Amino acid sequence: MDKMIYSILSVKKNPKKLNTLLIAMKGISGADLYAVSLDEISAVVCDIKRADLIADKTNAIEYAGVIENLAQQFTLLPMRYGSLMESTDLINKMLGRNYHEFQQNLQKVENKCEFGLKIFCDSEKLKAELRAKSEADTKTPAKPAPEIKNSVYRDWVNKKLKEHRLEELLLTYIDSVIAEITGYLARLNAVNKFKKMATEKTIIDAVFLLDKERKDALIHVIEELQNQYPRLNFVLTGPWPPYNFVEIVIK
Amino acid sequence: MSEDKILFNTGSLDELSEEIGKLTSNEKSRLKLTPGNADSGLAKLVLTLVELIRKLVEKQALRRVDGGSLTEEEIERLGETLMKLELKMEELKKHFNLTDRDLNINLGPLGDLM
Repeated sequence: MDKMIYSILSVKKNPKKLNTLLIAMKGISGADLYAVSLDEISAVVCDIKRADLIADKTNAIEYAGVIENLAQQFTLLPMRYGSLMESTDLINKMLGRNYHEFQQNLQKVENKCEFGLKIFCDSEKLKAELRAKSEADTKTPAKPAPEIKNSVYRDWVNKKLKEHRLEELLLTYIDSVIAEITGYLARLNAVNKFKKMATEKTIIDAVFLLDKERKDALIHVIEELQNQYPRLNFVLTGPWPPYNFVEIVIK
Repeated sequence: MSEDKILFNTGSLDELSEEIGKLTSNEKSRLKLTPGNADSGLAKLVLTLVELIRKLVEKQALRRVDGGSLTEEEIERLGETLMKLELKMEELKKHFNLTDRDLNINLGPLGDLM
């Protein structure tokens, strides 16, 4: 039987609390959960047959549910779904080899949680608006492509150039929104990561790590930003375990 | 995602659900190489890389055109080359029954390739 690791957590304050909590919880497919500990750090695991480990939606939700419940009580480092080891002895050795890195990362995320921000909009409509604004600002069409020759190749370049400039306008606009958000978040001491144009509609997909008690302040910031950018749709989610802010290469 | 995790949203939940579905669904963009589909799997992999390079070249070329550093003749030649490359790519995609979505491989935490 293999051992699947859900998370690594710090139990320095209350090790007994973890065992009580684990007795009341179940892992994927109803498996019992238990802790493999080394000093102040524990790995929460369950027994599983490698062949039974299916990467489907149900298992992923159950797995995330366990991490979510633990995160409400402990500072933790979530493990990737499907992190398997062959025995508790090997887990113990792994905890020992990576003890310092685990401690460092646990300190980094202590009393913090992750929030997700997705900003949706109709990017085609937005591009059209940005183009109109750019043309109005310069009183002439923005950087008109010189139409010297009327060849099929030159027409193709002109068409592509037009699309390229619209893309650049959109990216400049997105950068300005990100700069605005970053400015607001600096007040909350948040660590952030941004991804631009995740899909045609999701122009910004961001994650923030900040103190748990600053949740309300973050909601207020997003409300302000929404008022500032009425044509964009801001969606804030959380609090989540720090999925995007743990960087350890396990030895 | 349960609704109590949504702290702020002025849009519809349906739209949110649809977009999150797009962000998390990578079924089409997975590279599935098996003994039975080695040919098409390899074609998908190779065409993905070719398409990535083609798009990078096109983007760089358009930046140079936009920057005004090319002569009319150079722009003409560039247009001809890039247009032919695009048409050839369309032919290859059609031949191997692939779409743009198929060639946009999902790189997990790094997001989509293109």
